Amino acid sequence: MIGKLIGKLLTHLFVVALAASSIAALANPVFEDHIEVELVSETQTIQPGSETRLGLRLLPDPQWHTYWRNPGDSGLPIDLNWSMPPNTHIHSPSWPYPQRIEVGHLVNYGYEGEHLLPIRISWPDDLIVGESIEIRLDAEWLVCKIECIPGQAQLALSLPVTDTPALDAAKWTDLFAWADRRQPAKTHRSAHFSIEAERVKVNLDTGGSMFGQVPSAQHIFVTNTNVIDHAKPMGVQAGDQAVELDLPLSPYFNGTLDQLGVVIVDDASGQAFAWSAQPQAMAHEPSNNVGSQSILWILVSALMGGVLLNLMPCVFPVLSIKALHLLQTPSSAHRSHALAYTAGVLLAFGVLAGGLLALRAGGEAIGWGFQLQSPWVVGGLIYVFFVMALSLSGLAELGSRWMGLGQSTASSSTHRGSFMTGVLATIVASPCTAPFMGAALGAAVLMPWWAGLGVFLMLGLGLALPLLVLGFMPHWGRWLPKPGPWMVTFKQLMAFPLYLATVWLIWVLARQTDAMAVGYILIGLVALAFVMWLIRLPERNPTLTSVRHAVVALGLILAVAMLASAARSDLSEPREADLSEPFSASRLQQIIDNPQQAAFVNMTADWCVTCLVNEQVALSSERFANALKDNDVVYLKGDWTRRDERITAYLAEFERNGVPLYVAYPRNGDPPRVLPQVLTPEGVSRVLESL
Amino acid sequence: MLRDIQLRYAPTLLILLFWVMFSLTTLAQAAPRIGQAAPDFVGVDTNGNAHRLDDFQGQTVVLEWTNHDCPFVQKHYESGNMQTQQRRAQNDHGVVWLTVISSSPGTQGHVSPDKANALTESRDASPTAVILDEDGTIGRAYDARVTPHMYIIDEQGTLIYMGGIDSNPSADPADIPDATQYVIQALNEKAADEPISEPITRPYGCSIKYAD
Repeated sequence: MIGKLIGKLLTHLFVVALAASSIAALANPVFEDHIEVELVSETQTIQPGSETRLGLRLLPDPQWHTYWRNPGDSGLPIDLNWSMPPNTHIHSPSWPYPQRIEVGHLVNYGYEGEHLLPIRISWPDDLIVGESIEIRLDAEWLVCKIECIPGQAQLALSLPVTDTPALDAAKWTDLFAWADRRQPAKTHRSAHFSIEAERVKVNLDTGGSMFGQVPSAQHIFVTNTNVIDHAKPMGVQAGDQAVELDLPLSPYFNGTLDQLGVVIVDDASGQAFAWSAQPQAMAHEPSNNVGSQSILWILVSALMGGVLLNLMPCVFPVLSIKALHLLQTPSSAHRSHALAYTAGVLLAFGVLAGGLLALRAGGEAIGWGFQLQSPWVVGGLIYVFFVMALSLSGLAELGSRWMGLGQSTASSSTHRGSFMTGVLATIVASPCTAPFMGAALGAAVLMPWWAGLGVFLMLGLGLALPLLVLGFMPHWGRWLPKPGPWMVTFKQLMAFPLYLATVWLIWVLARQTDAMAVGYILIGLVALAFVMWLIRLPERNPTLTSVRHAVVALGLILAVAMLASAARSDLSEPREADLSEPFSASRLQQIIDNPQQAAFVNMTADWCVTCLVNEQVALSSERFANALKDNDVVYLKGDWTRRDERITAYLAEFERNGVPLYVAYPRNGDPPRVLPQVLTPEGVSRVLESL
Repeated sequence: MLRDIQLRYAPTLLILLFWVMFSLTTLAQAAPRIGQAAPDFVGVDTNGNAHRLDDFQGQTVVLEWTNHDCPFVQKHYESGNMQTQQRRAQNDHGVVWLTVISSSPGTQGHVSPDKANALTESRDASPTAVILDEDGTIGRAYDARVTPHMYIIDEQGTLIYMGGIDSNPSADPADIPDATQYVIQALNEKAADEPISEPITRPYGCSIKYAD
């Protein structure tokens, strides 16, 4: 009996001793090589069923650092393994955004100085009040300056369970607040990425209000490891509603990517935002290893893609008319016309491919359709499509001569016509992508240049193939309907796909630029239509003819000028800082109440031509900008393009029911002054100076 | 007449120009790529012998970047993993194994030829040669980033593998048994005439201490 008791006692003693020794081994904080590490709690106690935060506090020596979840080109993230009471839910760490650390030729993402990695914990309901819970954490880290030292520690923390809400542990408030400030706000706005050759293109919707300026590259972090080459330069462009990133793909990226995490920190406010970008349909795996078999397959796909390109709405009208025209020429000339057409197509494809591949080799991140990223090219194509459509509708012969639709003789000039039709077919095909083309083009840019060029020429050959077949096998032409007057009707019908293609391109332009640019291009189109009509007028007398030529020249100059103006509003170009703040009555009242500040209110709308003229002439001038700055005047702009009750009410205060309205509020609280409806830079600046 | 000729040949000239530009830029391109010729190099080993990559035509070559003080390198040498791989590569596949040290003088991992030989001896390693690349020429030609960083070049001089030593990026030797050993996997697949399943992997380790 006594023996049993002693035995039991000894067992107890042994257990207690074991526990004591294991706790003794678990220091907290620990001091390891070049770093101090500690497990801390935001609260002094915990309540059953509540949620609190623990944190891993790290204090590396000066100039030493630890790593973020994506450590960058080298390094390792902090790794945590917990031992907790059963049914405790441990959330994943809330990584504060890191800083960019350059180490030699590489770039890392990490933390210097004292930092904290917070972890949210949901405690189980069945914790016993009055007891303490033991938390064990096995933490692993890599701490580096230039050399790296991996570290590992068993950390322990004991927290009392109480039935009252927990009190904050004041000691760590500042560190948790530091981590909170660096916590990116998750956005649920749309975000997409695509991997094109050696770049990762990312489009992030910002809704327009996140960033004061274009975010700088050192404040952009990708959360995925091994996707981007962190040390290479990245491209950042910010439009009104989106940020576009052009990131260098890591040469060690392998396989596919389902999701790309991006964190961007606003340079001015330090506020961070996180997106989870989804793959765009166009994304493809990089195929660095293009074997000879696959080259053959790619060439075949390119050929098929080229053939299918003929059916695309951009090309079909040109091609079908050319084919019918070919049938009207004597069959002896079929072959030479078909060859001239093919030569035109191949040459144009060769030049386009050469340009694309050369630019790529020069480091430009571009892909097929790169030409459509330029508003210049889109605008130019709008003109080409529109003029072609007008000529098919019968307004002018300009395009017909080009397409070889004129007099059907086998003279050399129509051979040139066939050649030019080939060039034209390529130009109009360039905005279109047919099935099979995507894969072939994706591979083309990764292959050696000669193979890449081969792919493009195969595409061209495919595009030329139907006419080539028709030229060399005239009996196939029997399947086509006999030429006849119906062809005029058909030609006119074919104008409509081109009008639709024009509409589509205008939409593309609108997405790239703004409403102003679309306006310019439409004016350009009217000018072109006018010119075409003018050219067709019958000759009257020499004086009138020269006047007409002059007007034609003027019209063409106007069209080009409009194209230039449209291209200038390219959103991807950095824009001048907006001087104005959006109008709100409360903001205005704030300025009126402040004896230090004066205000200038501009009520405008996109559809108000006077407003636009004033904004272009007076309110965009440097003089106006300087007057605002020098006199410390706040510029408030109200946009009445869409219905807005508040602006309507404001207008009513001045007994107006329309825009423009310009009002200046003097500093001393004197009654506001209404400015005239037509502004000059001098006039408005003088008013600002007098406030 | 002259103008006619210019017009006629202008497009051809344009294309020729593109081609020339292209070939030039291809030549200038340094970073290695899978499926393309591995950059040639000449390196002097710890015994004063020069080795040229082209000399090993007809043999498979493994390049291993190392730095004996780097914890990631130590993970694979202290566990014996690297030595095992060297022996298997040589015995099973007849591979030429070149260990390259690109640490510049005065930085971590930089060693004298004698010290390098002593390290090979004490670690019971068996590279074909240890090449000292203290000016970083070979390392930069291969865009080697970390230690260990591994490359495999086939008999024709084509790069067939580049990346990490294994699939567990950590400094903890305990996780080696669970990891895929990429170099051995690639050599086995190559011997079996199978395509290399993972020709590009993430290299992990310490940054290479290049000369500026």
